[in-house]
Amino acid sequence: MADSKLTRSNRTGWLMSLPGFTLVALFIIVPFFFAFGLSMTNQRLVSPNPTKYVGLENYRQMLDIALVTLQPERDASGTVIRDDEGTIQYPRLRRLSRSDPAFERYKGMREWFGWQSGESHKAVVVRDPLFWIALRNTLLFVLVVAPVQGGIALGLALLVNQKLRGINAFRTIYFMPVVVSIVVVSLLWRFIYDGNDGLLNNLLDTLSFGAIPGVDWLGNPSTALGAIMAMSIWQAVGFHMVIWLSGLQTISPTLYEAADIEGASKWQAFRYVTWPGLRNTAVLVIIVITMQAFALFAQIDVMTNGGPLDSTQSLVFQAVERGYGKQDISGGSVISVVLFVLVLAISLVQRWLTRDRQN
Amino acid sequence: MISHDNHGLRLAVRYAVLVLVAIIFVFPLLFMVMSSLKPDHQLLVDTGSLRAFLPVGDISFDNYAAAFQRAPISTFVINSVIVTGVTVMLSLAICSLSAFSFVFLRWSGRNLLLSILLATLIVPFETIAIPLLLLVSKLPWLGLDGLEQGWLNSYHVQILPFAADALTIFLFVQYFKDLPSELVEAARVEGASWFQIYLKIIMPLAGPVVATAAILRFLFMYNQYLWPLMVVQSDEYRPVMVGLQYFFQLDTPWGEVMAYLSLITIPVLGFYLMLQRAFIASIASTGVKG
Amino acid sequence: MATLSMSGLTKRFGDIEVIRGVDIDIADGEFVVFVGPSGCGKSTLLRMIAGLEDISGGELRIDDHLVNDMQPRDRGIAMVFQTYAIFPHMSVRENLGFGLTIAKVPKAEKEQRVMQAARILQMEHLLDRRPSQLSGGQRQRVAIGRAIVREPSVFLFDEPLSNLDAALRMDMRMEIGKLHEQLGATMIYVTHDQVEAMTLADRIVVIKDGIVQQVGAPMELYHQPANRFVAGFIGSPSMNFLPVEVQSVDHDSALVASTSLDAVRVPMRVEPLKSGDQALLGLRPQYLVPTNEQDAGQLHGTLSLVERLGSETVVDVNTRENTRLVAAIADDRTFETGTEIAFTFDPNRAHLFSAAGDGALNK
Ligand SMILES: Nc1ncnc2c1ncn2[C@@H]1O[C@H](COP(=O)(O)OP(=O)(O)OP(=O)(O)O)[C@@H](O)[C@H]1O
Ligand SMILES: [Mg+2]
Repeated sequence: MADSKLTRSNRTGWLMSLPGFTLVALFIIVPFFFAFGLSMTNQRLVSPNPTKYVGLENYRQMLDIALVTLQPERDASGTVIRDDEGTIQYPRLRRLSRSDPAFERYKGMREWFGWQSGESHKAVVVRDPLFWIALRNTLLFVLVVAPVQGGIALGLALLVNQKLRGINAFRTIYFMPVVVSIVVVSLLWRFIYDGNDGLLNNLLDTLSFGAIPGVDWLGNPSTALGAIMAMSIWQAVGFHMVIWLSGLQTISPTLYEAADIEGASKWQAFRYVTWPGLRNTAVLVIIVITMQAFALFAQIDVMTNGGPLDSTQSLVFQAVERGYGKQDISGGSVISVVLFVLVLAISLVQRWLTRDRQN
Repeated sequence: MISHDNHGLRLAVRYAVLVLVAIIFVFPLLFMVMSSLKPDHQLLVDTGSLRAFLPVGDISFDNYAAAFQRAPISTFVINSVIVTGVTVMLSLAICSLSAFSFVFLRWSGRNLLLSILLATLIVPFETIAIPLLLLVSKLPWLGLDGLEQGWLNSYHVQILPFAADALTIFLFVQYFKDLPSELVEAARVEGASWFQIYLKIIMPLAGPVVATAAILRFLFMYNQYLWPLMVVQSDEYRPVMVGLQYFFQLDTPWGEVMAYLSLITIPVLGFYLMLQRAFIASIASTGVKG
Repeated sequence: MATLSMSGLTKRFGDIEVIRGVDIDIADGEFVVFVGPSGCGKSTLLRMIAGLEDISGGELRIDDHLVNDMQPRDRGIAMVFQTYAIFPHMSVRENLGFGLTIAKVPKAEKEQRVMQAARILQMEHLLDRRPSQLSGGQRQRVAIGRAIVREPSVFLFDEPLSNLDAALRMDMRMEIGKLHEQLGATMIYVTHDQVEAMTLADRIVVIKDGIVQQVGAPMELYHQPANRFVAGFIGSPSMNFLPVEVQSVDHDSALVASTSLDAVRVPMRVEPLKSGDQALLGLRPQYLVPTNEQDAGQLHGTLSLVERLGSETVVDVNTRENTRLVAAIADDRTFETGTEIAFTFDPNRAHLFSAAGDGALNK
């Protein structure tokens, strides 16, 4: 279209937006595509060897997963060999993959977890157990934190949405941990969770008159991730309370008056007035929590370093450990790409859910 | 039907619940501050009782003095102030200028550029941190000693990657769109250049969004951890959050740790308590994106 | 002071042509008013003159200079917006002096010109207030004052009074009239208020769908409308259009009649008609005179509604073929609804239009 130069300001327009766009392009867009590129090379941060293109090899390594069935060891007569305690003996996968051509494909893979099925042993084997553990923990973290934190946040929002004197002070207090750095919070809670002199153990001990034994919350593989979840929820729940609150405040008070006239109970008013009005907010809250949960890093780095026994490994922690700690840029990039794909899937779900409403 | 007593009782229950919940949020922070004032032996004993949350016993600032002995804290604080302050300023200037040109000027490529920018909203920083690390380790920089290779260990490696971001631009764009376009047209008729309109008409009217963006940027930058952890190895440029590593060792006296934590947290909390409405409003505005 | 000339001006938004070939010449010091129904392109045309919209085709000249591609600030114009568009963060003084500040006019001169404008608009006492502390009328004064300070050769007003209440609107209208006399500048004024148009304008430009229907002095438009659209648009209450049949034609007059209209010879000014044509007879409500004797009248109907306004009485009449007719009768009179009524009128004040089309110029 032939536009006169009167209302077009091409030069000024570009000049004004260029600083911002250049920075975003250089520091977000370029690294973003870099991540894809690097994930297909053998790049290291400082390396004497030239970088090589390896295609999808890194992905093949990291994502390789298989289910194998191991038959019990039998003696010459064909009876199953058992050890002294009667446990069935199975051949080592390592040995099998060397000797048995049928198992050659599993060379270098390790058992992630397995279970007994009849006489045979089913095992899920992976080439990169740490990645899979990190993925599982991250998904677990997301699956627990998203609904729990979202639910508690809604409860708090309802609580501080009451018309009471001084309610603003409570709002301010509930939101307080949000402005505190997650790093600070993590270190503080390391003290609270401490196995010996921790505040939590001592308080529990006092409150129960010694009935509850002390737990090394972060040192125990079965409690460490749960402890980190609880703390993360404590820190960020105020954030989502605020989002719920702005959703609540868009619901017209006349609807409640109408419900009141109809004789609806408190619960019915919530069920039929509040909740339908919060549908969009709910999607938003869940998505935002999920995104934040996927980024789980600082808590791990400060509190557990992925331990004990890898029970708190997370995707971002692994990406940093490889890309920065071990200077394995390509390994870190692969995890970054996987993470991005997960995040993208989530935002597509969000798009879809919000579009649904408009129809 | 509802007797006055009943009403009073209900009110009491409501406040009781509110206070109980408040305790859960306040006490850990209170514990942090109180612990920072106590010597280690008392500190550990106190954790068994409510004394943990009270300034009782042997109260002093000794832990703070000791923390300053252990780590170059003042350097960390200065670094954090520089990095956070400069980034917030730069980001406000750069992003508002971009948003201004997107909203008020007509130029070819405008819509495409804006769409690309907004698409980056869904890229979490964590997913680009590793490739970005490689990128900045190779970028050249013209310093006082001539051309240098690599940005690691510097202020600019902590500042420039965050000097512009899609969320801030988006917040400004939303705000500018709601300003009456006649103001801009009137200024144009009066003879103002685009830059003068930006500086003299639009920015003076952008107070609320500037506050929102500044708060969000401030919180993000001051609390940054992963990035400075990767790109800064020397104390000279280390910000407070990474400086925490001095206190990671297992044998660190908790009193000192709590002193350091309090030191770097209380200013932010004070800031928040002063401007709590603005803080909460700015967080709420991040929720409306998408 | 400046002359302004538009020739063949057009404006497209995408595929839609909003201004479709406008030719107007405006003399130095003239007060020209653009009127037309909502969405006809008045504002767009004004903004093209201001340089806020670019011109898709044709030529715009100010003082014989082609200004199509000239920036607004270089055109020597000032504009007053419907929403005032005064800068909320500046005091009245700063608002008035904004253009001069931008132009880096020396402080003393700026101060003097701001004071002068304030004096003209009698708002010296408001100079240090913020816009939020002003009433709507005062804000509009500031907007006008800002235009005055620049000493432009052309003033552009886009419905400057439409956000004000009726009484204030009348005051401001008179002030703008006085201002024009005082400054003698060329002024272009957009409105859809007829009274503003009729009282302020040296010439009125009637626009419909981006096409100029007629340009002329207010009374010229009132008495000699160029087409049925203009006839219906100018005047309040609007002109009545009575369907009639042409019975015979002279060279410049026609004999027309209908069931409710006794045959009458009226001048044929707008378009040529021939015997047997269906036509519309335009009768201004003010020119219908009721007569008491049924048989003496020319036009017959039944009273359906009577509105007594004090200064005049407006009656609705159903004619025999059941079209609605409005008559405005000077002074307060009482009528009985439902009764038969007859009117006479001066045939020379009637207008005859063809019944075909919508009555407006169209390309
Ligand atoms: N920026 C634009 N893009 C597309 N169409 C536009 C634009 N501006 C105006 N129009 C269209 O041009 C036509 C004329 O608009 P304009 O504002 O000039 O009307 P107007 O005569 O001033 O009406 P009003 O009396 O309501 O102010 C309208 O149909 C409008 O929809
Ligand atoms: Mg208009």
